[in-house]
Amino acid sequence: MAADPVSMLSFVRFLFAFTIGSHILLVSTSIALVFLISISEFLSIRKNDPVYEALARRLSKVFVISFGVGTASGIVMAVELVGLFPSFMTLVASTGAMVLLYAEVSAFFLEVLALVLYVYYWNTFRGRYSHWVVSLFVVTGTLASAVFITMVNAWMNTPNGFDVSSFISSGLKTITGVEPFAAFLTASTAIQVFHVSVTTLFAGTMVIGAYFAYWFVRSRDDGEKAMYSRALKILGAVAIITIILSGISGSEEMGSLLVNQPLKYAALDANPVPGTNLPDRFFGSVVGGNYVGGFSVPGMQALLARFETGVTTLPGLSQFPANTWPPLLVNTTFNVMTAGGLALGLFMFAFFVSLVRKRRPYESRRLLYIWIPAAALAMLVYELGWATDEVGRQPWIVYNVMTVAQAANTSDALLIPGIVVVLFYLAVIPVTFYFYSRVFQGSDKGVPA
Amino acid sequence: MNGIFEVNYAAFSVFATLLITEIMGAVGLIIAWPSRSKVLDYLVPIWEVTGTFGAFWVVTGDFAYPALLVPVSAIFAPLLIVFLILWVARGASISFAEFITKRGWLDEEKLYKSYAVSTIVLGLVVLVLLSALVGGQGVNLTSGSFSIVSWATAGSLVFVIGTLLLAVGLAPVFFDLSALRNLIIPLSGLGVVLSVLSYWLMSPGLLTPWMAIPVLLTLAVGALYAWRRTSKLVTNKVAFLAVLSVIIFSLQPLVYPNAIGKALSIDAVTTTGAMADAFFSVTLVGGILLALMLSFYVVVAARGPSGPGL
Repeated sequence: MAADPVSMLSFVRFLFAFTIGSHILLVSTSIALVFLISISEFLSIRKNDPVYEALARRLSKVFVISFGVGTASGIVMAVELVGLFPSFMTLVASTGAMVLLYAEVSAFFLEVLALVLYVYYWNTFRGRYSHWVVSLFVVTGTLASAVFITMVNAWMNTPNGFDVSSFISSGLKTITGVEPFAAFLTASTAIQVFHVSVTTLFAGTMVIGAYFAYWFVRSRDDGEKAMYSRALKILGAVAIITIILSGISGSEEMGSLLVNQPLKYAALDANPVPGTNLPDRFFGSVVGGNYVGGFSVPGMQALLARFETGVTTLPGLSQFPANTWPPLLVNTTFNVMTAGGLALGLFMFAFFVSLVRKRRPYESRRLLYIWIPAAALAMLVYELGWATDEVGRQPWIVYNVMTVAQAANTSDALLIPGIVVVLFYLAVIPVTFYFYSRVFQGSDKGVPA
Repeated sequence: MNGIFEVNYAAFSVFATLLITEIMGAVGLIIAWPSRSKVLDYLVPIWEVTGTFGAFWVVTGDFAYPALLVPVSAIFAPLLIVFLILWVARGASISFAEFITKRGWLDEEKLYKSYAVSTIVLGLVVLVLLSALVGGQGVNLTSGSFSIVSWATAGSLVFVIGTLLLAVGLAPVFFDLSALRNLIIPLSGLGVVLSVLSYWLMSPGLLTPWMAIPVLLTLAVGALYAWRRTSKLVTNKVAFLAVLSVIIFSLQPLVYPNAIGKALSIDAVTTTGAMADAFFSVTLVGGILLALMLSFYVVVAARGPSGPGL
């Protein structure tokens, strides 16, 4: 019996959300890993410290796994996009967003070739700094891949580089006025790339740090503890810097939404109607044109918006046709994300204060016990950030141009293979993280006590 | 000449070359595990590069033929999903195998063999896909569907068998397995005959004078290895990869100017205008960067052993 196209549309939405939600777990930890490896190797040379070198060597094995599974999963994303959203990919392939994907593959080449040299020819390099410089190419390739794919997402939020009105009036058939390189700088690109880069690094840093925190607390081997504390020292510093930048860029991101995606902004803040002195609303919804449930802080939204952008009149849902509203659950996901981000900011502030007072927070059992659930919170906040961005753009896949329903392939032939993909990811992700640990712990220790 | 097709097909040729050598290695891992070190010395640093060229081919394909994405998605989506699962399984198992330390039942051998099986089955899926793209068997362009039952014609099956025989026949050359020297000429010769036969079975029009290039090059590889004085020429990995890429590149008349059993004109679906210009300019810049990176890679690799420095 053929599946209902509406159900298949929901399934296609779920399938892609699930796979990309799984994929970004790998991406965020990969990015954090490569930073940690490069910084560790630099410190090992600078301080002539063999523990840092052992850390870099052991982590580079983990990174090979991370790269292997992450790249394979990235290709799944690339092919899945064609299979699940062919009309969207036709638009992408006919406009500048395709140039971004092409640039991303170039970044992949940089990453893979540098990684192979870095890992498999470690002892071939004559100078230690020469080898370390190769790690910078791995960092650049890894980060550039993430940046280019984020640029594609920014283009989906604020499309440019083609004649939008003529495309819509042609019934999404004729694409004219193509400027292939315009997609590199849409209205939202700079701020979104900034926000995504720092939050991705922060989330990955927290997760990798949780691993070291756990083993630091548990281990009785002084040599191993010395390695974990050095890793935590680096990760703590990276987390402090990136949480500050996450806050700043998050605020700028809201300012960008206010200007470029007012409907998404109105949904995130659950504004039933536009206004000037609007409150910040938490955990409620809009029913029959009124805000219900939850609670409000009077004037706060207006104050923040004025501070971020200088805009005084804020958008409301009533300005837009109801059939273009995203699910208003985004107000809740947005609130959990910001509250979680605030809690993580407080935790990192405590870490920073302890660092300034020379209390060695990276060896404090109390702080390390808190780090572990904080890492889970960081990943939740990160995933919710993406969910808020993507669900907040619904029903559009390309904002104000093409809906998800117009883009999707609703063939029921996708159902069984799609379920297999979900089951497969459910197995691959935990197994991958298990292997990270097993390979790190199973490596030759070689750590001086 | 269609420059965009040539770039995309060149990317495919390199990807297919690397994948075929991986399949050769995978077969070696399964049937000759005790002599795995020769195979792993090659496979371990290269499998990630194969994946990257795979991504490069997919992305240049998306860029080159935007009008094909909707029909390709409709026709091949289930097959592509199977491909993806095998792709992740292959990447995960080899990266786990590389650094695993034995604990319990799971060890290096099981993981490498899991990689080998995933890669071989993946190769079969790719061959099904390619034979459909060449001859159009199993593809219904009107309804936008693919049927494996309709695909299973004599032409398709002989295509798969012929290609596999070629891979198995040339594997001893690539990995310099002199004990299997006597198998090379019979297996690769039979592989060539069956491959040519499969093209004829799919459509006699596929056999053009150009087909002499891949046939002669393939036979030359086997013959050069059989003669001891010239065997060093073809056991050199870079030389073998280059020749295999040329062989695959020279097979392009199978899909150009028309593919899917002559039903699809490639020129008619190739991107044009500003996007075509962008394709060439990005390819030029990316190509220069890639050449520089590969040169650096070759310089470093020539200095020392390819074993892990860990």
